Amino acid sequence: MKSREQEYKEIFIAEALEYFDALNRLISELEKKPQDDQVLAEIFRMLHNLKANAKAIGYLQISDVSHKLETAFGLIRNKELSFSDEVVGVLFDGIDLLGELIKSIDSEQQVEIDPVLIRNLDIIVDSLSDSTVELAKVQKFSTSRNLTLSDLIYIQVKKLDHLMNLVGELIIDRDRILSLSRELDNDELKMVSSHLYRITEDLQYSVMDARLVSIGTLFNKFPRVVRDISSAEKKEVNLELSGQDIQIDRNILQIMTDSLLHLVRNAITHGIEKPELRAKAGKPKAGSLQLSARSDRESVIITLTDDGKGIDVAKVKKAAVERHLVAADVADSLPDSEVYSFLFEPGFSLAKEVTEFSGRGVGLDVVKNAIDSIGGRIRIESEKGKGTSFILQLPTSIAVKGALLFEIDSIFYAIPLIHTDSVVALDKDELHEVGEVLVADIKGETVTVVYLDELLNMEESQMRLGDKTRLKGQVQNIIIVSYNNRKLGLIVDKLYRQQDIVVKPLSKPLDSIDLYGGVTLLGTGKVCLVLDVPAITKYFVNKR
Amino acid sequence: MKEKTNKKEGTDAAEATVSGPDKAAETALASAKEGQASPEAAKEEMIHLIVFKLGAEEYGIKIDQVKEVTVTPSVTRMPRTPDFIKGVANIRGDIIAIMNLEERFGIRSVPLANDVNPHITYTLVIEAKEYSIGVIVREVPQSLNLSMTKIDKTPSFLQDINIHENYIEGIAKVNNRLIIVLDMYKILTQDEIRELKSN
Repeated sequence: MKSREQEYKEIFIAEALEYFDALNRLISELEKKPQDDQVLAEIFRMLHNLKANAKAIGYLQISDVSHKLETAFGLIRNKELSFSDEVVGVLFDGIDLLGELIKSIDSEQQVEIDPVLIRNLDIIVDSLSDSTVELAKVQKFSTSRNLTLSDLIYIQVKKLDHLMNLVGELIIDRDRILSLSRELDNDELKMVSSHLYRITEDLQYSVMDARLVSIGTLFNKFPRVVRDISSAEKKEVNLELSGQDIQIDRNILQIMTDSLLHLVRNAITHGIEKPELRAKAGKPKAGSLQLSARSDRESVIITLTDDGKGIDVAKVKKAAVERHLVAADVADSLPDSEVYSFLFEPGFSLAKEVTEFSGRGVGLDVVKNAIDSIGGRIRIESEKGKGTSFILQLPTSIAVKGALLFEIDSIFYAIPLIHTDSVVALDKDELHEVGEVLVADIKGETVTVVYLDELLNMEESQMRLGDKTRLKGQVQNIIIVSYNNRKLGLIVDKLYRQQDIVVKPLSKPLDSIDLYGGVTLLGTGKVCLVLDVPAITKYFVNKR
Repeated sequence: MKEKTNKKEGTDAAEATVSGPDKAAETALASAKEGQASPEAAKEEMIHLIVFKLGAEEYGIKIDQVKEVTVTPSVTRMPRTPDFIKGVANIRGDIIAIMNLEERFGIRSVPLANDVNPHITYTLVIEAKEYSIGVIVREVPQSLNLSMTKIDKTPSFLQDINIHENYIEGIAKVNNRLIIVLDMYKILTQDEIRELKSN
């Protein structure tokens, strides 16, 4: 794999060459109709971008020459310099020089900049009034012109989406062929299908790779955002970015854009205190906001940390009790992580007392929904007075995900791995009937457990989620899933393997059923339902 | 253009699937195709229906709303969906919802005739505006070509029926047969789509 730096360089060259081509076209156009303001504006814009890009990546020669040209065109635009033949000649020379410089980036050879040309440029820029200075003749740079096409192409995301879908279909068929070849036990077929397996896998990763963008493309928009919000709030905030090089699927980043903006805005308006308050609390006047990304196996973790006032757990508990989300006696004993999850309840923040005091939660349910929709997770860590962190775990790719396959009442189901914490087998005696649910001690933690067959298949009026006699067999296979900082054990009939699946969304009219995130086809051709953990958890909470 | 191609593939494929267990469906569709090929030949305006039984009555759907007829493939039940949704099935790589219209419309089921194999059902794949659904029928659907004039579009009783239940497009009368023509686009009301969601 190429280094990031190499990739940036290539992108810069491709873009710069595009500008170069366009500049050539535009300046020729301008020569014919020198009064066209639109063309001038376009030239101006391109030179400006080129200058900025070159400077950012450290090609100072290019940015210098662009700067000079930009100044010249600026003068022309302001009618301070006439677009005479002499001037045009110099400008063409200047643009040719730019082209040479851009092309030389990739070759070892250094371009000798003709000092005469630079002088000419300086003359038309600086001594506009002094017409006595002669423009010197410049030796032509490129006597033999080579026409080249760019190494990069732009492509619509839509086309990549389509490609990804096709790969998904292909993978489903590949798995089917693979399982058929095993059944038929034909060596030649087995060989071909294992080759097919490798090729499609390669194809899948290539397409996924083509859809990846650096998180920096989003992160780099935040310094300005933070500046604007904090100056509006009369606060001082230092933003630190890290992990901009981490790669993520473009569509996932697109979906996360609004959520991240929301969280950042929240952190500044409600998290970080005003300078005088911070001084009183013994904190530096300027608040700190850290936005970082890192890779973790198949997901990307984005963390937003502020050093503001933190979340007041007691206030959140009080509001949750007032809103009947939890009983008062239960609320007292809840761990903080579960208390924070109330913040994601729809409309929770609307309660006046919450927004005023703890301040968090404005529309956090919207953030949560966005993350749910791409199969990600969000969690909060906070310490009163010290600050708050939002930790977002996002899949790197939408279409293909690791999942755990299992069976209930002879129907195949899958749960995406991003929601599974662990898998345990417990004896029936280790499950206890408490209230109207089952609970078990799992690695020292008391976890609510639900028999999926009962939850999914029993008539709703006869559902008894806390009745152990409904269970089949002595040993129970339990998948521990985690959603909204809450753990839930799902008892399944049979547990199968872990497998990469291609989730097909349900088509209309079934797409409105929340319980299923989609379906996938197994190698056997059987339909497997993909359970949506957030929806299952909510359904369970409602039925309890 | 694209739609046309799909339809043709669908029909061909349906024949392939059906020909094994029962030739009758094939004949039905073959004649259906002929009908499609030469609509201009007939002087009066003709309508082409796929006719099937629900309960004791005959129902018809316009052929251009029927993508294919196939022996019902294995259907995966989807818990917590309304009863008339039998589940989802994989029909040529598309996962579609399979519905039982007898349950959907509250039609009383009648015992099967002796010559009908109780173990095989057929699925009409129907393309409504926004979605494809499969409709299960127990007997081989037939194809019927009739003049538009035979369809009574506004029988008086339709006015008595709740407007939201207005999935009946008209009543066709041919040779002492009465066929209820369904408007498949209205087969699922908005309410029902919402009902799916509330579960």
